[in-house]
Amino acid sequence: MTTPSEDLLSAYLDGELDADDRALVEGRLEASAEWREVLGELRETRDLVRGLPVREAPPGFIDGLLESGDPAPIRLDAKRRRRTRIAAWVAGAAAAAAIVAVVLVPSQTRVKPAVATLVNSHAARSSVSEEPVSELAPVAAPVRLGR
Amino acid sequence: MTTDGVPSWEEVARDHGRFLYNVAYRLTGNDDDARDLVQESLLRVRRGLETYQPGSLEGWLARIVTNVFLDEVRRKRRRPVQALPDDPDRVLPADAGADDVAAAAGLSTEIQEALAALPEEFRVPVVLRDVADQTYEDIAGSLGVPVGTVRSRLHRGRRMLRAALVESGVVE
Repeated sequence: MTTPSEDLLSAYLDGELDADDRALVEGRLEASAEWREVLGELRETRDLVRGLPVREAPPGFIDGLLESGDPAPIRLDAKRRRRTRIAAWVAGAAAAAAIVAVVLVPSQTRVKPAVATLVNSHAARSSVSEEPVSELAPVAAPVRLGR
Repeated sequence: MTTDGVPSWEEVARDHGRFLYNVAYRLTGNDDDARDLVQESLLRVRRGLETYQPGSLEGWLARIVTNVFLDEVRRKRRRPVQALPDDPDRVLPADAGADDVAAAAGLSTEIQEALAALPEEFRVPVVLRDVADQTYEDIAGSLGVPVGTVRSRLHRGRRMLRAALVESGVVE
């Protein structure tokens, strides 16, 4: 005998099976306590959802649409308002991130060689001694690496 | 109603606005999104009325609201928007009234939360069947899937819902 898929139980509950499948499920239900239990659970779950109260639209919502003569007169306003809130939130988050970055990230000591000062100083010394080569020698001395 | 049996969008809003809003709320789980969903659905109703074939009006509306909802789900997946922590509307609807207070005290809030927590592919068939009272064939048409897929998703959706309700203590 074919074992029916459990998926059929919901369809059985909803009266959405043809005669053959219905007979198949009923045969299985007679034979299986587990299937009967699942069917009971499905019925209870379905009934809970069906028993939810009708959610009423906010007062004046539908009347407001009808009075405006447009299905979506406030739709764009609402979207715009939401976009504005999102933009404000993103800007706020970015500002906060920037503050956190400034406060928490350790500042690094920047080395700024005073190139202009050194050049001027060197030029002055060279012009006094009139021996630019010897003045440059300490700087230009080759470095020997352990040879 | 016109002579050819095609309603105006105003008639749809007036006579079926309650149905639309209820389905929209059960799909989205909050009033803000439900309002957007209803308005977008009514826009599509106005555009689609010319092609409407008189028949099950609520079936047609359920299909429209489902399509709008799924379009929005896909759009959010492409461009996710974070919930705004400072937005009081998302914590408590601005127009929360006695109904909200009463609902918060009952089981319906927990059932709604369990429903809203289902993945869309399972939530939609459950809402269309158990809230909008659509047939499996109608649901299959709305979702563009075979009836067998509806049967499977609906069954799994109810099983998942059951597990969530057991976990929250609504049922044993």
